[in-house]
Amino acid sequence: MENNFDSSNQRKLNCSDASKCFKLLESILDGQADLESKAVLDEKLAKCQPCFEHFHLEKAIREVLRTKCTKQLVPLELVDSIRQKIQDLK
Amino acid sequence: MSEVQRKKYSDKDKNSIFDQEFMPHIDSMYNFAYRLTFDEDDAKDLVQDTYLKAYRFINSFEKGTNAKAWLFRILKNSFINEYRKKSKQPSKVDYQEVETYYNSDNVDYNMTSDLRVDAVKDMLGDEISNALNSLAVDFRTVIILCDLEGFTYEEMAKILDIPIGTVRSRLHRARNLLKEKLKAYAQNMGYDTEEE
Repeated sequence: MENNFDSSNQRKLNCSDASKCFKLLESILDGQADLESKAVLDEKLAKCQPCFEHFHLEKAIREVLRTKCTKQLVPLELVDSIRQKIQDLK
Repeated sequence: MSEVQRKKYSDKDKNSIFDQEFMPHIDSMYNFAYRLTFDEDDAKDLVQDTYLKAYRFINSFEKGTNAKAWLFRILKNSFINEYRKKSKQPSKVDYQEVETYYNSDNVDYNMTSDLRVDAVKDMLGDEISNALNSLAVDFRTVIILCDLEGFTYEEMAKILDIPIGTVRSRLHRARNLLKEKLKAYAQNMGYDTEEE
């Protein structure tokens, strides 16, 4: 049993149900889980090192995707061109 | 989305829906189109076609409902029907093989990555974008819809015409593939990605 704990933070070093836990963690990060699941999450993050690491890596990936992906500016003429085509339809 | 009863909007209503509910999404629509086609002209054509279709079929849109998801669904269908065929860069992926693989809902969530959080946070925007752009279009699409555009699983299921379970598993696989790409960048940057 002792080997299953990280001495620094007392988290389990192995997750007994990683598949189920990781699925839940990903749902929570995607905003899909309910409050009850979030309570389970807090407990897992406090007690399980693989869940803790998986959660923070997945979170970081979502954050960099959201904040760093290069964005294209909409070409100026596009809006006018759409409006013109709609006028032609009428 | 498809079962909505047809409306009979006046021209004034049509214009108001178009201006107030459809046009505000042009930025997201153009970026989605660009990330699908990687070509400015194709992206412009795709967005323009989408807005024209949206106007033409405006009576099947219920005012005040989710216009963004409705528009994204039209754009995605236009892309599949018209643009994917004439794509300038035919994908090297064997679609048959990929279809079988990613349409299975049985996905192994057990796989861990040795990619480190600080390496991810230090990635440049270009590296993230390149990694995303290098994914096969169906994997790229779920990440764009979820992480860049903030759609829920339910909205994504409607946009893509697939069950929610498939959204979830495809998203999980897409992110695993993305992690592999990011890991290659991290190694180039000199981050240690090996576990002890």
